[in-house]
Amino acid sequence: MSRTTTPRGDARPTRAHRTPPTGHTSRRRLLAAALTLPLLIGAAACGDDSSGSGKTELSVFWWGAEARAALTEQALDLYTRRHPEVTFKKTWQANQGYFDKLATLTAGGNAPDLFQLDDNYIAEYATRNVTLDLTPYKNDGRLDLSKFPESLWQYGVVDGKLAGVASGENTQGLVYDKTLLDRFKLPAPTTGMSWEAFIAWAENVSKTAKVPGTQDPSADYKAFWVWLRQQGKDLYKGKDLGFTEQDATAWFDLWKGARDRGATPTADVIHEGNVTDVSKQLVVTGKAATSWVWANQMPELKKNTKNELGVVAYPGDPSAQWARASMYFSVFRGSPHKDVAVDVMNFLANDPEAGKILGTDRGLPSNLDVRKQVADSVDDPAMKQSIAVEAELAKTFGPPPAVPLPGHSKIKTELTKSAEEVQYGRQTPAAAGAAFHAAAKAAIGQG
Amino acid sequence: MRARRRENLPGYLFLGPWLLGLMAITAIPMLLSLYLSFTDYDVLTPLSDAQWVGWDNYERMFTSDPAYWHAVRVTVTFALIAVPVKLAAALGVALLLNRAFRGVGLFRGLFYLPSLLGGSVALAIVWVSMFNRDGAFNSLLALVGVNGAPWVNDPTWALETLMLLAVWQFGAPMVIFLAGLKQVPAELYEAAAVDGAGAWRQFAHITLPMLSPVIFFNLVLETIHGFQGFTSAFVLSNGTGGPVDSTLMYTLNLYINGFVRLEMGYASAMAWVFLLAIGLITAVLFRTGRFWVHYSDSEGQ
Repeated sequence: MSRTTTPRGDARPTRAHRTPPTGHTSRRRLLAAALTLPLLIGAAACGDDSSGSGKTELSVFWWGAEARAALTEQALDLYTRRHPEVTFKKTWQANQGYFDKLATLTAGGNAPDLFQLDDNYIAEYATRNVTLDLTPYKNDGRLDLSKFPESLWQYGVVDGKLAGVASGENTQGLVYDKTLLDRFKLPAPTTGMSWEAFIAWAENVSKTAKVPGTQDPSADYKAFWVWLRQQGKDLYKGKDLGFTEQDATAWFDLWKGARDRGATPTADVIHEGNVTDVSKQLVVTGKAATSWVWANQMPELKKNTKNELGVVAYPGDPSAQWARASMYFSVFRGSPHKDVAVDVMNFLANDPEAGKILGTDRGLPSNLDVRKQVADSVDDPAMKQSIAVEAELAKTFGPPPAVPLPGHSKIKTELTKSAEEVQYGRQTPAAAGAAFHAAAKAAIGQG
Repeated sequence: MRARRRENLPGYLFLGPWLLGLMAITAIPMLLSLYLSFTDYDVLTPLSDAQWVGWDNYERMFTSDPAYWHAVRVTVTFALIAVPVKLAAALGVALLLNRAFRGVGLFRGLFYLPSLLGGSVALAIVWVSMFNRDGAFNSLLALVGVNGAPWVNDPTWALETLMLLAVWQFGAPMVIFLAGLKQVPAELYEAAAVDGAGAWRQFAHITLPMLSPVIFFNLVLETIHGFQGFTSAFVLSNGTGGPVDSTLMYTLNLYINGFVRLEMGYASAMAWVFLLAIGLITAVLFRTGRFWVHYSDSEGQ
C-alpha cells in the first residue's frame, strides 16, 4: 500500500493513491465513477469555504453527554476568540450511533475536519487512510507532543502513521460501592490483590451484604486483556491474536468458578451490566458491589448514584495496565483545512486555559504540565479520586500494547457472546473458549 | 398514436416529482447496493477503490457464516409465530367489536392505540423495563405466586417477548378487518339463520370466505412486516442481537455487518438476498391465495 505523506494542497479526498490493475477493471471503474458522481456533486455543492476572505469554518464532531458538549464548546469558543478568522461547526451526539454517522459522512466524502475516535475504531479509520498522518506536523513542531508521556502519544500510531492525538489518558479501574461496604464493615478491595483473593472477597461481600460482590467481567475485553498481560500474553501480537484457545477457556473457567461460589450476580443481571452505558453499570444500579470500568468514568458514575464510590486497579499485578488514550482527535485526510484543524488539536491538547476548561472529562489531560495544573485546581471529589488513583497506577504502568487491530469491535462482541453462552449455562468454558478463539481469528482476517 | 402520447405527457409531468423521488431515494441507492454486493466495499474506503469480488459475498453467506443462518432462523421463527397470532388476535377482537354496544368506539380506539406507536423506540424501552427481572410483569406474576423469568434478559424468552410486543400492536390489521366485516351483507347471515346455521357455521361459511380478500391482504402485509422487524430488537439488545444472539433478526444482523463491522459489500448482498426471499414468499402467498381467496365482486370471471 502506498503512502501519501504530503497532503495535496486543498484537494478533495485523494482517490488516486491506489491504482488498480488496468484492463478488465476499467468498466467497473466507470460504473463506480458513475455511481459516485451524485455523491461528489453533493459534496461539491456543500462547497468549500470562502478561503479568499480568510475565514475558515471548521467542522468538529464528537460523542459524549451534555457536560462534555458544554466544555468542548467553551474551549472551541476560546480558540475563536484568539483566532477570530476561525469558527466552528460543532456537532455532537451520544455514543450510540456516533460511528454509524461518522462512517456515513466519510463515505459521502463529507467527514468532519476534526473528529473524535477511540481505540476500537482508530485502526479501522487509519488503515483505510481516512485519517491524516500527523507525523510531519509533529516533526516540524506544529503539533507539540513533547509534554505527552511517550507511551500515550504512541498509542495513536497505527502502521507507523500518527493517526490521532490522545485527548486524554485513562486506565482500567475497578469501582466499588464504598457506602455499601462501610455499612457492613467490609474491607475495600485493594490494588494488587490476586484474582483468587478478589473473588474470595467478592464471595464474602455477597454473603454478608446480600448484594453480589462483583460484576462478572468475563464478557469484558479490557478485563480479559489485563488478565492476559499479567501472564505474559496479550490480546494481539503483531497482526495475530496474542492468546490461545486454552487462555480463553481458563478465563471463562475462572469466572464460572466465581459464579458458582456466588461472587457474581445471575446471568441476566450480568447481561444488564454488559453494556458500555455508564448509567447501567451494576455498581450504580445497586446490583453488584463492583464494576469494571475506565478510571476516568468515576465522575460520570458518581452522577448516577447517591452512594460513595471508590476505585482501585484491576486484580493481579497492576503493571499489566497501561496508559491508554481514552479517546483521540483525528483530522480528516480530505479536509480542506488540515493545517487549521491540526492547530486546533494542538490548542486543545496543550493550551493551559483550554486544559482548565476541559478538565478530566476525556481522561487525564495528555499534556503533563496541564495535567498537573488541573490536578492542583480540581475540587470535584470523584474527579480528585480518579486522578489520584491514576497517578498512583502510572508509577507502575507497563509498556502499552499496540493499538487494537481492525476487527476489534467484532472481537469485543464475540467475547461478550461466548462469555454469555457460559454465563447462561448453554456452553462449557472449553466450548466457548474454542468458539471465541476461532471467531476472533476470523474477525482479524486470520481465520 | 401521437395524440395518445401527447395525452400522456401531462400525466408524466404530474408524476415527475414522485418519479424523481423514486429515482433518488429508492432506485439509485438500490442499484448502487446491487453493485456494492459484488464488492468488498467497507464504507470508509472510497467507493471507486472498492474491489470487485464477484459472488464471494453471496458464497460466504451461504457457506461459511453461521451467524447468518442463525439470524435467518431467528427471523423465520419470529415471523411464523408472531404473524399468525397477531392476525388471529386482530380478527378475534374485530369480531367482538363489530357489534353495536355502548362505548364500542372507545374500545376500537383503545385497541388501535398501540399500533399508533408503531415500531417506536420509546415503546421498546417501556417493554424492556416491563419485562426484566424486576419489571412490572413479574410483579404481577408474583401476586399469583409465580416466580417469573428475566424475560428480555433471558436467551430462552427474549424473542418471545419481542413477539408479544409485535402481537400487542394488532390494531392496524384489526381496523382493516373491521372495515371488511362491515362489508359482509347482513342478508347472508339472515338467510343462513333461516336455514338453521349456528354461529360457528355462519363464521366458517360466510364470514371467513367473505373476509378472505381482507385476510389475504393483512397476511401479505404482516408477513412482510414481520420479516423486517428491527427497531424493537435493536433497542432491546442495545444493537447487539443479544442476549447470546437470541434476538439477532435478519435486518439487525445486516445492520451490524454494514455499520458496526463496516462490511457494507457483504451487508448489501444480505439485503439483496433478503429482498429476493421476501419477494419469493409474497409470490408463494399469492399463488396459494388463488385457492382460498374469494372475491365476491368478480363472479363474472
